[in-house]
Amino acid sequence: MDDRSFVAAQDVILDMKKYWTTRLYPALKAEYAERAAAVGESPQTRQQVTELLGSTTSYRYFAWMERHLQRMKYSGRYGLVPYHHERAADLRNTLPDMSGESRLELDPDFKNPVYYETVDVHQHPGGVWSEPTAGFVYERGARSTTPMLGARHRDLHGRLTDRAIRDGIPDRLLDMGCGFGKSTRPFYEELRDTQVDAVDLAAPCLELAAADAAATQAENVRFRQMNAYETDYDPESFDVVTSTMLLHEMPPEEIGRTFDECARVLKPGGRMVHLDFYILPDAFAEFIHYGHSQRNNEPFMVPLVEMDVKAELETRGFTNISIEPFQEADGVDVENSPFWRFPWTIIAADRP
Amino acid sequence: MKNPDWVDQGPPETPLPEQTFFEDPAIDRAFAVTMALATEVWVLKDRVMALEAALARSGVVDSAMLADEPDNDERAAHESQRQAFVAGLLDSLTGRQASAGAPEMES
Repeated sequence: MDDRSFVAAQDVILDMKKYWTTRLYPALKAEYAERAAAVGESPQTRQQVTELLGSTTSYRYFAWMERHLQRMKYSGRYGLVPYHHERAADLRNTLPDMSGESRLELDPDFKNPVYYETVDVHQHPGGVWSEPTAGFVYERGARSTTPMLGARHRDLHGRLTDRAIRDGIPDRLLDMGCGFGKSTRPFYEELRDTQVDAVDLAAPCLELAAADAAATQAENVRFRQMNAYETDYDPESFDVVTSTMLLHEMPPEEIGRTFDECARVLKPGGRMVHLDFYILPDAFAEFIHYGHSQRNNEPFMVPLVEMDVKAELETRGFTNISIEPFQEADGVDVENSPFWRFPWTIIAADRP
Repeated sequence: MKNPDWVDQGPPETPLPEQTFFEDPAIDRAFAVTMALATEVWVLKDRVMALEAALARSGVVDSAMLADEPDNDERAAHESQRQAFVAGLLDSLTGRQASAGAPEMES
């Protein structure tokens, strides 16, 4: 496949996704409101929304588009995976030699959790870990994960950075589930006096993250291959622990273990700040989110929203717990967005 | 909260089928073909636009002329190809079989 055809196809698939976001979603929501008004009461549960809307033609096409635009993006004829596979050797050659590089530490004996290899999350065939170009695929795909943000994706991570350091600049910060380093970059770029550690399971992503950091000549970051809920850091090592879109990728027991690990590695008075998808303002939002979980191959989104996170944190002794909607960009209505959006939520707490 | 059983069991022996959203999965599959073709149409359109721009830059074609209404001779010259395209697109709507099947077989 030639580069021009790939870009043209990916662009038109993204435009279809934008249409889905800004036209099909509002149309579905309007139909839902009409149907609810016709029966004289507003549904209070996801199941009631399903009864009202689940078998309508509008919803079927909405659901189909969500599932298959993502499939086309990743594994269609002009998909990210075939495009990058064709260029595997060239892409690998773009990475610098990282041997002896302090910014990258891979574990040749590392074993993924079974669940991580069972599901191709995001409909990414082979996931973000299984082959050398997986990091490139993930990076390219993530540019259009939230179609309305576009180039403002950087804005989202910058906002999280601001939120995470609201109470002071940390000496040491741990970014869990860093992927290819998009969430980590604002930390090591903006906090030059902070030592930033970032961990992830996927070697292909970590390689990309470290190469990116090397290109910026950042000396205050290192990317390490390890499990967020099972790190090798000493107790009380960090002032701040963060994650971005990590918790919903984990089974519920591992989410609990991740909170345990945060408590262990945070210094007394340290704070953890997780950005994820949690607060669903109404039954319609719940219906949409549960559907997204299934259609995008993200099975742990549902257990996360069903988890009593506040209770989980209180049980572990966290204090100053804050679970609140997160505005990912200026002008976004977090309570009642006219367009489809993720239910971005900040989950933050202090270790006493 | 407990983990689902599959978390520690690994993938199923038989891969799952693709998800379906319509009562008749034929609609799911036919729509997928349509969307794949729609993508191909844009890829071709993009290529034609690039080609026209390159030809115009090198003075081979006049872009404005390409957008002019074709005269009757040009339309007539394309007619048979256009009609063949339409027939190829719509023939299956007649519901007639293209090859003779055994008379006793019901569809």
